[in-house]
Amino acid sequence: MESAFLCIHMSSGATCSIENSFSLACLHCGAPLLSGTQTQQSRFCCRGCLAVYSLLQERGLQTYYSLKGGAQSSSAPSDSVDGEFAYLNDPDFLSAYASLEGRAMSFYLEGAHCAACVWLTEKLPEFLAEVESLKLSLATGVARVQLKSAGGFSKIAEELVRLGYRPYPVHDGHAQHLQKLENRKQLIQIGIAGMVTGNIMLLAVALYAGADGSLAGAFRWTSFALFLPIVFFSAAPFYRGALASLRRRQVSIDVPIVFGLGVGTLASVFNLMIGSPHIYFDTLSTLVLLLLSTRYFLRRLNQRAWNTSELMHFLTPSRAQKQMSESGRFESVRSDILREGDLVLVLPGECFPADGIVVIGESSVNCSLLTGEALPLAVGPNSRVNAGTLNQSAPLEVRVVHSGSSTRLGKILRAMEDSRARRAPIVSFLDRVGQAFVVAVLVLTVVGFFVGLSTSWSEAVNRALAVAIIVCPCTFALATPLAFSLAMSRAARIGVLIKDSEWIERLSQVKSIYLDKTGTLTQGELQVTSWEEILPGAQMVLVALESKSSHPVARAVVQYFGASDVAVRDFSERSGHGVSGSVQGDLFEVRGWTPATEDEKSLLPSDLSTILVAIFKNGILAGVLGLTDGIRDDSKSSVEALRKMGLDIHLISGDQEHSCQSVASRLGIDSGKTLSKVGPEEKADILKCSPFSLMVGDGANDAPALAGAYVSLAVKGGMEVSVQAAGAYSSRVGIGAVPELIRIAHQTLSVIRRNLAFAVVYNLVGIGAALTGNITPLFAAILMPLSAFTVFLSTLWTPLWKGRE
Amino acid sequence: MEGARVNIIFLLMPIAVLLGAGFLAAFIWGVSQGQFDDLETPAHRAILPDLLEDANEGES
Repeated sequence: MESAFLCIHMSSGATCSIENSFSLACLHCGAPLLSGTQTQQSRFCCRGCLAVYSLLQERGLQTYYSLKGGAQSSSAPSDSVDGEFAYLNDPDFLSAYASLEGRAMSFYLEGAHCAACVWLTEKLPEFLAEVESLKLSLATGVARVQLKSAGGFSKIAEELVRLGYRPYPVHDGHAQHLQKLENRKQLIQIGIAGMVTGNIMLLAVALYAGADGSLAGAFRWTSFALFLPIVFFSAAPFYRGALASLRRRQVSIDVPIVFGLGVGTLASVFNLMIGSPHIYFDTLSTLVLLLLSTRYFLRRLNQRAWNTSELMHFLTPSRAQKQMSESGRFESVRSDILREGDLVLVLPGECFPADGIVVIGESSVNCSLLTGEALPLAVGPNSRVNAGTLNQSAPLEVRVVHSGSSTRLGKILRAMEDSRARRAPIVSFLDRVGQAFVVAVLVLTVVGFFVGLSTSWSEAVNRALAVAIIVCPCTFALATPLAFSLAMSRAARIGVLIKDSEWIERLSQVKSIYLDKTGTLTQGELQVTSWEEILPGAQMVLVALESKSSHPVARAVVQYFGASDVAVRDFSERSGHGVSGSVQGDLFEVRGWTPATEDEKSLLPSDLSTILVAIFKNGILAGVLGLTDGIRDDSKSSVEALRKMGLDIHLISGDQEHSCQSVASRLGIDSGKTLSKVGPEEKADILKCSPFSLMVGDGANDAPALAGAYVSLAVKGGMEVSVQAAGAYSSRVGIGAVPELIRIAHQTLSVIRRNLAFAVVYNLVGIGAALTGNITPLFAAILMPLSAFTVFLSTLWTPLWKGRE
Repeated sequence: MEGARVNIIFLLMPIAVLLGAGFLAAFIWGVSQGQFDDLETPAHRAILPDLLEDANEGES
């Protein structure tokens, strides 16, 4: 907990969604080049991509690009800070994370997703002599690195960053190992069940075709012998499941399976002894095989979703640069050991490790993840800064006031835990139907027995047996999980990892949606929306001035206008007061601006820009620039699609009212349904009071709401606490995946309902016939697998799984 | 005649089961070796040599 909440994972902003239609794309990562940058000599979206490109050329690895071919986006490299990975060499860290006496460690590689990535990363041993081997698993994105001698992982990590894959160390832990062993055991159980089922079927065909005499006896006894491994080994998971559920005083779907299996086996063995032809080993073994396979399939899918989301919050050990009392130098320490009064150094691009007060330095701070505010705040000496917010432009020395769980972030996290703990458990509809079904089966079998008892003892056994066999739990035990697992893999293909199948059921019931603004609907970065030049030449000067600054406004300007070659003298920048400099003897100033006179108001851009910046030449207004936190490309179409589905759409944000209203009006969200300046705890309360609603968000301020909502989705780009809190995680930025997800959920549930309807009809007819003695146990044994196959095929043959691309 | 046919089946049946058991043993060995732990990456790894060849041809 302590360290988990301090680890903040900022997505590298450069890996953006790629449209193939862009003619000019970065040579390395394929990201579209923005207008303006085209004039520059380079064909890269950022310096990082250029660096990776040159590195690959230098190492003779150009083949990467031809391999990558059609693969859409590649990993844009992220900047690495010198010594960032020094902690990997700590003896403490090695003993916790490394295996093989400190020679092997596993890393989650952000951005590894195609064959070319496998090729590129597995080339590492060729140019780093100390690497023995590197194996990357695409399913989980985890690479296992083995070195020739112990330690020295920081160098490996830096090289991986240079290649464009940011590594996060992962516990090579006991849990994973056990999981692997369990998977193998289940696969062996399936293998054995498959082998004996095949052979039993062969023998059964001969028996049904009319084998008799000593041959029939031999076949029956052989089937029995082959059936033994199923009862005593392969079916073990069902016994465990049934026992566990009975101990909790519940009846799970395992109970009727074990009941049917037990009754069927006993009756078959009895009939085998007395030489009667009614044996059901073929039916029972097929049932076990199908059930085991479906469960294994579902389990692997769940593990994959779980592994990835779990990885996200596996400790990226959070570090801080603390001033040492002895030497006075800043050294890297674990941030959970920070105490009140410590002095820490926070570089641009780093998150604050604790709440504190700035001592030296001026910078701007992005608080969007903590508060939802889109615009960066200017900070200087004596300003308060909070853990979890991002320092954007200049190094700051900060005196720690609160650390660990007493920070603002720590309190939000506690609220999230509370909210999760207090959420009313939701018993799913399918669970209730399943329970009712199980009880009905048991009751009806007893009824069948007593109905038959009025005729004769053997008739009583036959009827009870016919009921027990004909009652098909396949819809519940087989077709429903199958439908869910197919829906989950379909969701995974559009980049959404779902933690459990109940999430899909709940999503299909959603009536209203609450969308977070900053970072979810918008990009969380400033963009230029308008530019009004009053004095000619102001634009070139503006760009020249801003290109010397690293303030978010400056970055937006440079991105929008490109470079400028105007020479600036006497440049100065004061945080919160803009920049200034002189060009050919004229003093230019760029700063935040609000129109004072009517004349000036006419200069206002027609759209609702969030902030206005003006450039002054010798104190005279020379140009007005409008900026806003840009709305993501797919937000509008997604909101539109969601509204067409009849959903009630709300915007919920911690940001200021006017910027929320501006975004809402552009997306067509009712201003009455736009909630601004909502704190994290209030958000959670609102969500708890609105039944059947979906919360989509990314920041820490959304985490309590995500944990408390009926259904929730965390989107990429935020903090991992939100991933922890939500029921599903979208690895795609923005809400583009939401309409498709809801469609998937609806279709999945309609397939399941269709199967349920079929099961009800089949069971009513079947049980009726069995109770009245119209169906013999043998006939029931043939009918049962048939019905299983029907629901199986009806589930598989649904257009949903193919999906529209 | 009848007896002869039955006899050969009594011989063939255990052979069939043994053959099946042989393949099953091979499967179990494969699983315990971890050959089924990761079903995705090896597929990509296997096509790399071909892709490399194509890529080289494309360059020259």
